[in-house]
Amino acid sequence: MKYVAPSSVEEATSLLSSSPSAQVFAGATDVVPQLRSGRTAPEVLVDLKKIKELVEVNSDGDKWTVGAATPTAYLTEDESFSHEFPGLSEAAGLIGSDQIQNRSSLGGNLCNASPAADSVPAMVVNGVRAVVAGPNGTRVLDVSEVVTGPGQTTLDDDEFIVEFEIDKMPNRSGDAYLRMTPRTEMDIAVVGAGARVTLADDGSIEQAVLALGAVAPTVVRIPDAEQALLGSTADEETLNAVAAAASAACNPIDDKRGTVEYRKQVAGVLAKRAVVIAIERAEQRNGSN
Amino acid sequence: MAVGKDPARVDAVDKVTGLALYPADRVPDNALHAVVVFTNQPHARLVSIDLSKVVASPGVVTVVTAADVPVNEYGLTLFDQPVFIGLNDTGRSSVPCDISRWEADHLAVVVAESLSEARRASALIDTEWEPLPMASDVASAKTDEVLVHPGSSTNTYHTLQIRKGDAAQGMEAADIVIEGTYELPHQEHAYLQVEAATAWIDEQDRVTVETSGQWVHEDREQIAHALALDEEEVRVRYAAIGGAFGGKEDMSLQIVMAVTAHKLHALGINRPVHCGWSREESIVGHHKRHRATVTARLGSTSDGVITAVEADVWLDAGAYNYTSNKVLGNLHLSVAGAYNVPNARIDSRAIYTHSVPGGAFRGFGGPQGAFVAESQMNKLASKLGMDPMELRQRNALTDLSDGITQSGLPEGVGVTRVIDACVERVPPSEDLPNHPPFAPIASLPAETTQLRQGRGYAVGMKNVGFSFGFPEACEADVVFHGDVDDERPSRVELFHSAAEVGQGVHTALTQMVADAVGLDFECVEGSFSDTSTGGDSGSASASRLTFMAGNSVLGAVEEAEKTWADGARPAAGHFRYKPPATEALDPVTGEGQPNFCYGYMAQAVELTVDIGTGHIRVDRVVSVHDVGRAIHPQMLRGQIEGAIAQAHGYTLSEQLVVENGRIQNPRLSQYLIPGIGDVPGQVDCVILEGADPLGPWGARGVSEMPYITYAPAVTAALHDATGVWINKFPLTPSLVLEHLASVDS
Repeated sequence: MKYVAPSSVEEATSLLSSSPSAQVFAGATDVVPQLRSGRTAPEVLVDLKKIKELVEVNSDGDKWTVGAATPTAYLTEDESFSHEFPGLSEAAGLIGSDQIQNRSSLGGNLCNASPAADSVPAMVVNGVRAVVAGPNGTRVLDVSEVVTGPGQTTLDDDEFIVEFEIDKMPNRSGDAYLRMTPRTEMDIAVVGAGARVTLADDGSIEQAVLALGAVAPTVVRIPDAEQALLGSTADEETLNAVAAAASAACNPIDDKRGTVEYRKQVAGVLAKRAVVIAIERAEQRNGSN
Repeated sequence: MAVGKDPARVDAVDKVTGLALYPADRVPDNALHAVVVFTNQPHARLVSIDLSKVVASPGVVTVVTAADVPVNEYGLTLFDQPVFIGLNDTGRSSVPCDISRWEADHLAVVVAESLSEARRASALIDTEWEPLPMASDVASAKTDEVLVHPGSSTNTYHTLQIRKGDAAQGMEAADIVIEGTYELPHQEHAYLQVEAATAWIDEQDRVTVETSGQWVHEDREQIAHALALDEEEVRVRYAAIGGAFGGKEDMSLQIVMAVTAHKLHALGINRPVHCGWSREESIVGHHKRHRATVTARLGSTSDGVITAVEADVWLDAGAYNYTSNKVLGNLHLSVAGAYNVPNARIDSRAIYTHSVPGGAFRGFGGPQGAFVAESQMNKLASKLGMDPMELRQRNALTDLSDGITQSGLPEGVGVTRVIDACVERVPPSEDLPNHPPFAPIASLPAETTQLRQGRGYAVGMKNVGFSFGFPEACEADVVFHGDVDDERPSRVELFHSAAEVGQGVHTALTQMVADAVGLDFECVEGSFSDTSTGGDSGSASASRLTFMAGNSVLGAVEEAEKTWADGARPAAGHFRYKPPATEALDPVTGEGQPNFCYGYMAQAVELTVDIGTGHIRVDRVVSVHDVGRAIHPQMLRGQIEGAIAQAHGYTLSEQLVVENGRIQNPRLSQYLIPGIGDVPGQVDCVILEGADPLGPWGARGVSEMPYITYAPAVTAALHDATGVWINKFPLTPSLVLEHLASVDS
């Protein structure tokens, strides 16, 4: 097995195009265990961390760009980012452990394509876009378009994500991500629930996006819950409808971490709680900050 | 005085700086590398085995199989397991060796120049197996339709019973009867350092194994038996031991690596051979805490006086006995609790199954027994509307009690003492303190409307030392150094085999020798855990070493004092301490004196549960122990906190999934031991010193005690918080929600 560390996007794409059995990696927190267990055996390992734009975080007036290989620790440590996207920042802060977060990245968390990846529901509710580089230049995908099933993505073998674009959080908007794991850290989500809401001037909900992780082969949106929230003030009855819609949107597996029944039930509980937190955050975000 | 102080551990600097070398760190430069090949067959007969491709594989030096073992059998208390599975004409053995009864039965050891070559070659073993029907759990094994071991008509191979008074009449006389069936789960030891060993023939031609275990002399005896050698022809010594907890009490690599070195020597290859298991090999390849099912009834008068106990215990021994017969005994004794029980019927059975063997694990049957006994008591208190500790105090064993085995108890019974101290610290009548609300994500607000808090108690006792007439002794050697004119020695050497499994015994023994001689702690030099220098100490188990090894060094110092007084320089002293004899129980009534010493404990647990997710956080544990004498108070608190962390995993998160004789989650990513964010936020250790008349400086033992009462205290606290009793664990969030839902509906 060969290790290469290209220093530019072009160098990386040409390497990938010329090596049919190549595997890109960022922090390698998923790749190393896969190599050790023999689940993957690439001939070439391509380290993306030496490419400058993949490890940068920038913000202009309209959007943030987060390099795909940037350690997630940056997102939890960056006060301005975590103030604007507390839900996404907290989701990134749940990956693995403190040590892992010095290596793990949004790009890796997404492209590993685990149904339980913590950052993905939080990216989906925030409408994050992935800028994908390939031999013919770049294309832009919604994060929700990248993963098609466990371990499966829409990226070609010679493509990789360069960076993520995140539009600035509008006024009167807030996000949240909650997950359930049996262990408080170093564990894999049994259920994850992300929510983002925007409030109208009268306090009613103008926009709502909800997404669940670990309850289906890919992250799932909950259109019925989003619909139920629109125009409401998230009264108890609406929240119960959100919970019911979240439970109904699940298509989970039974495994050692949780039964189908448990995942469905807790998806409802967490979706409801995430909405409440997102609303509280939206209320505090009233234009002055 | 060194005893009662907190000198730095003798191994502290090496262990925190990384200088301490564990068996996997000590691979000689010229070592060959070995891989142990498991059969991967929970029940099948070996029809053929072809090693030609293995032998031809690059770097392979030899392959060791059943044909290389003169006596192909082992077992700590019964010889019921082949060292290797082989064709049926290989090896002298009391147990047919052509049948694999466990997925981790050993098939071969492949030895090569490098580990990768050994691994590659080990995949090339060509075998043909005839699958055999399975009895993979107690329910299927107890029908005896499929027998795990031939030559017997039943899988129920070990039974114990207690008949005291008249249990039926006692139940008749009861105003209230509490009845329950309890499911006790497996637990994996999950020691930091997985199994590893190096073997060679030493300069005195001894087959030598360096590894980590709990009893060098037992390892030596088992190796010598399999190789048909005298024990003196075998040497076992331990490198630093990274945890054991009972999981290294049985054999893993000891015998097979000795056989491998022996074979290499016979082939004229005099190089050391090393093997180290991966985490997966470790989890699949060694025994577990027993799973068990217990049905129990507890009769009481309306004012809370116990009238009778009945219990039926089914212990899943797995494919081989290991120490199941002994574990069963402990469970059997503890299932009625630390209480006066005038009438009892207890029937306990160990049953062979085609599954992972159960064996020694901190508490040794005690946690299973205590879960039953204390759950029954907690339910009784709840039913009676009585203070749970008042109920216990009313029934507590004392020095005057006859005990469940009708033989009286060793002097100094401390049950009432630990109950009083626990109640004083955590009065049941007092409101719960305001534990801060918890959210699984610390940065987020808690959903306080869905949090419920509760408190629970449990009380128990655990034997110190070997039980039921098993030969119990401990040897020590000391050498006093000084000049002929010196009145007192200036330096003392201690030679002892007590295994330092992390509990601090080497430090405690050093303190004891210093105190006994009247020297500073620094003037004592210990040499430990090598059969070529130390006498037989017995194992690091049964909370016994402080008591047993402490008495052995006291005796050895006394002997050395005599030779010193006679003018010998250096002056040596050897001593073999034997405690009062114990007895096997009467086969019909269960009468007899099974133990010579007990430790006593009481715990209060306070927890918060999120009824939306089923997540439990334990806020506070108050752990009260009568230890006789605290030799090293700081290490003692470490033992208590460590035992509680381990019991916390057992109670809340560790779920070993075994299906059809195969472990499904042999990884720490899927078998969840608690992390620092999961263990109880606060552990208050309350140390009582009610001296044991026979203990060194009055000391008893403590290493298992804090573990034993934790699970029932947690389930009682969960009941206090939610009104739900759960008769099984681990209390995973899904299990908790499932039970909460059943109450709602």
